[in-house]
Amino acid sequence: MAPSPDYAAEQLKSQGNTHFKDGDYDAAEALYSQAIQKNSKNPLLFTNRANARLKLEKWEEVIDDCIRSIELMKENMKAFFYLAQAQLSINHPNEALSSALMAYELCTNSAQQTSNAATISALVLKCKKAKWDIRERDRIRRRADLLADLEGKLEHECKRDVDDIEARIESGDVGRSEGQEEKSERKQDFENKRNDLRTAFALSDPQNLERREVPDFLVDGITFEIMHDPVVTKNGRSYERATLIEHLKRSATDPLTREPLTIAELRPNIALKEACTEFMEVNNGWVYDW
Amino acid sequence: MFASKRLGKELQKLHEKLPPGITLIQADDLKEWLMDIQVVDSNPIYQNEVYRLKFMFSPDYPIQAPEVVFVADETHPIPWHPHVYSNGIICLDLLDRQGWSPVHNVESVCVSLQSMLTSNTKKERPPGDENFVKHNKQRPRDINFVFHDNQV
Repeated sequence: MAPSPDYAAEQLKSQGNTHFKDGDYDAAEALYSQAIQKNSKNPLLFTNRANARLKLEKWEEVIDDCIRSIELMKENMKAFFYLAQAQLSINHPNEALSSALMAYELCTNSAQQTSNAATISALVLKCKKAKWDIRERDRIRRRADLLADLEGKLEHECKRDVDDIEARIESGDVGRSEGQEEKSERKQDFENKRNDLRTAFALSDPQNLERREVPDFLVDGITFEIMHDPVVTKNGRSYERATLIEHLKRSATDPLTREPLTIAELRPNIALKEACTEFMEVNNGWVYDW
Repeated sequence: MFASKRLGKELQKLHEKLPPGITLIQADDLKEWLMDIQVVDSNPIYQNEVYRLKFMFSPDYPIQAPEVVFVADETHPIPWHPHVYSNGIICLDLLDRQGWSPVHNVESVCVSLQSMLTSNTKKERPPGDENFVKHNKQRPRDINFVFHDNQV
């Protein structure tokens, strides 16, 4: 009797896993593909192939695999996690961010809030930064365009006036030395105006004026970084979820009071989370590298 | 994982301001730092002496405690204390696996050690110092200290 397709697929998958562990991603991908031919209803086959394709940088195919896997299983942390990475790589930070947030939510709701939380949290941050980078690039380009336009107009006016003076000298309306003086005054005037304009632009750029500091109440006491998913402990202190979990896995105590504390006792600090999010939106950019 | 970022920020703060009697000597990398401490009040055991501390960080800092020992050279002796062995190894609960908490930092460790010295009245070594110094091959963080007393 021929082995059942499910069994055959399972065999191929575990061979694929072996190759994946050895770093032979091409072979792993091929084996997962064969497994999918035997059984196209197993979402794990698609996430495994997506992971292999992620290593091979076949972004579009990673996205296809993740979507098919999510269609088969909605609560699919791995699929959203790989999807986010691929979307980020093809420069779609908005989509990547929503996928990464989905993965994060599934991870924190799952029974084992393992070290995945920290990895996914880092990916969420990366997506936010990529999103901001694009906005910032556009902003700088727009500003530069406007400044170039205005400078061009000033220069054009100056040139017109100078030509005008030139014509009056030629026609004998003004004396040569008098005219030359007028011309250099006009040129000086143009340079002053242009410098003032540049200063005004520099001053109006919020990036130049900001005090680049994050207030202590938004900063996680363990990593010293701005929080993105703060949780509150029994004594009212808040920490970044992923890092506090790292600590609690080692020692189930409150970091400050040393009283017993378990992961299940943590509660999200929603208001603080919103304060952190708002701070990042207002100050964006430099916060990500802070 | 986050050790380098966190240490970078600690270093920035240490450059800005330090409590009296604590000095940053060397922090060339994010693995090993040297700090000097002095007892600022008039405890006769520690008059006119400066002690040098060596901090060693693992990539898991601050989830994992740093290793902290006193180091001796011509100008820096090992301070007398019933919890400090003559080879510089320190027996302090907050540096111990169980006693460490990731909210501590280099500065707070220095302050704790400083106050541990300040409040001490006994010019002694821990019991069994000679034997321990001769035979110990373990790294400080792997030693299971028995805390003889908690009064000191």
